[in-house]
Amino acid sequence: MFKILKSLSKSLGSSAKATEAKPAAAKEGTLLDKVSKVSAAAAKAEPPKSPEEMCGITPKMSKDEVKAQLKLLFRRYNRSASSLDAKLRNEADRMLDAIVQMREKHFGEI
Amino acid sequence: MAEYVGIDLGTTLSGLAYLKPDGNPEIVPNADGERLTPSVVFFESHEDVKLVGSAARDGGEPDRTIFQIKRYMDDPEHLVEIDGKKWTPAEISALILSKLKRDCSKICGDINEVVITVPANFNELARKSTIAAAEMAGMKVRRLVNEPTAAAVYYAHSQGVKGRILVFDMGGGTLDTTILDVDGDSIKILTSEGARHLGGSNFDDILLEAYEEQYKKQTGAALYSGERHRRRVLQATEDAKKMLSKLQRVNDTVANDTNSGIARIDLSRDQFEKMIRNMLTRSVFLVEQALDSAKLKPSDIDHVVLVGGSTRIPKVKSMLEKIFGKTPKSCGNVDECVALGAALFAKKSSRIQEVCNASYGTLAMVYNAKTKEEKLMNSIVIPKNTPIPCSRTQVYQTSEDNERVIEVDITQGEDEDAKFVDVIGRLTLDVPPNRPKGCEVAVTFSYDENQRVRALVVDKQSGRSKEVAVTYKGAGVLSDEELKRRSHHLRAMRIE
Repeated sequence: MFKILKSLSKSLGSSAKATEAKPAAAKEGTLLDKVSKVSAAAAKAEPPKSPEEMCGITPKMSKDEVKAQLKLLFRRYNRSASSLDAKLRNEADRMLDAIVQMREKHFGEI
Repeated sequence: MAEYVGIDLGTTLSGLAYLKPDGNPEIVPNADGERLTPSVVFFESHEDVKLVGSAARDGGEPDRTIFQIKRYMDDPEHLVEIDGKKWTPAEISALILSKLKRDCSKICGDINEVVITVPANFNELARKSTIAAAEMAGMKVRRLVNEPTAAAVYYAHSQGVKGRILVFDMGGGTLDTTILDVDGDSIKILTSEGARHLGGSNFDDILLEAYEEQYKKQTGAALYSGERHRRRVLQATEDAKKMLSKLQRVNDTVANDTNSGIARIDLSRDQFEKMIRNMLTRSVFLVEQALDSAKLKPSDIDHVVLVGGSTRIPKVKSMLEKIFGKTPKSCGNVDECVALGAALFAKKSSRIQEVCNASYGTLAMVYNAKTKEEKLMNSIVIPKNTPIPCSRTQVYQTSEDNERVIEVDITQGEDEDAKFVDVIGRLTLDVPPNRPKGCEVAVTFSYDENQRVRALVVDKQSGRSKEVAVTYKGAGVLSDEELKRRSHHLRAMRIE
């Protein structure tokens, strides 16, 4: 596996002048922006999901797999709860509730 | 002059401590004689005065009273409008800090430089806002330190313990968990993890809902019709919560603000614990996350230390005892130890090995040779919890022919999925024309003791390079000029 630097600039004329680090707002139109917009649009069209679906927990998963998945999701959405992106912060709260429900269902109450 | 000063700018309570000549920290009371000052600001309408603390919390008009402003330190859109003027969270916090500075300096001497504590998971904007608030209040921030780190420093100092400590810091608005190694005066932080909106005020809100439900059930009416009465009931729920840490059951009576009668609230500790179970389960996740980050098992922890008012809840203690198999210990006065530790930190920072608060990296198209898939990912250069100071380099390749400008998005966050990280800056570098794709570019991040991050991009073929300070400059960050103007304005205000 190797990494390729994401670079959107194809010619000098279409890019911003070289300057110091710019704010997050400058990312409009980047690949990330497009990815995020597609995800948001897809999410809008979907019907409400169950906590299992939200957490990607399937009946075939072993206890260890469920535990690993919930830990991964908690790390992701707990961090997202402090994101600079307000939409992501809102999504994080719903996800954290679903993660807790799944933990209680599979591993019992604390 | 007080040389070593620490401030705990809390969600519900704030405190200031200084280091006495004998090397022990001491809390400095405010002019009202209180050791801790409620983080509440009241904008008086009749006189040109801003009340801070108990006077602001206990009286006044709700529309002119600001609670828990710390929750909004990273929200550039959260503005409080009073008499036509819009106040930022940093400005409101500056009023609280001004009160502490003005009151406490009468006892401990002039306060010029301070260490201020912040939750471990405070993002870049919230940290910047905190520094701006201190500057507006006329104080230079020597360092920001994570709240659980400060508490651990105090615990190590006051208890003389040695070994691996887990600090569980559940305050008014946030939960932080830090694991550290202590050996005498030498402290090595292994990891700090935090959770937002997980603290005492969330429990108060949950209790408020229970009160509302009970009232509605008994009288058929709503418990409150305005903010003033909601605040009063909220205060009652906070009192009930505190009582439930001592008693198994509390009885309360509440009335609404439209004379719909009185309701009797009967609440047991068991019921309360069930109500906050979701929050407590989240806190268990956070403890496990901290252990995983430090690659430790519960049995590797020698001491579990409780910090913050919410750790008085018996269920919190029993939950931790179940995980670690040992009784958690209190860090003296759980409300004061963060400020006390911050004052100690001001002097001892050189003996405290800290870690990166977040991962730093860049967005990259990553090709997976196995699946032959290419995906936009967050490529981490410096992982979170790397001991600081540190410097790390990753080499990437350009993706297209004839690229004239290399653009490097600077990310903050641990997730590989680009959607779940913050892009906090961008660095651009002009490169020569007519080059094929696949040219190597080295991206280096450096993180120094003052938690300053720098990014260096080097185009290996041409040798061209560019280095910048990685700092969030987006919405909500004041320019130096604006900061100066607002500082000047604030210093002329009457703050009591």
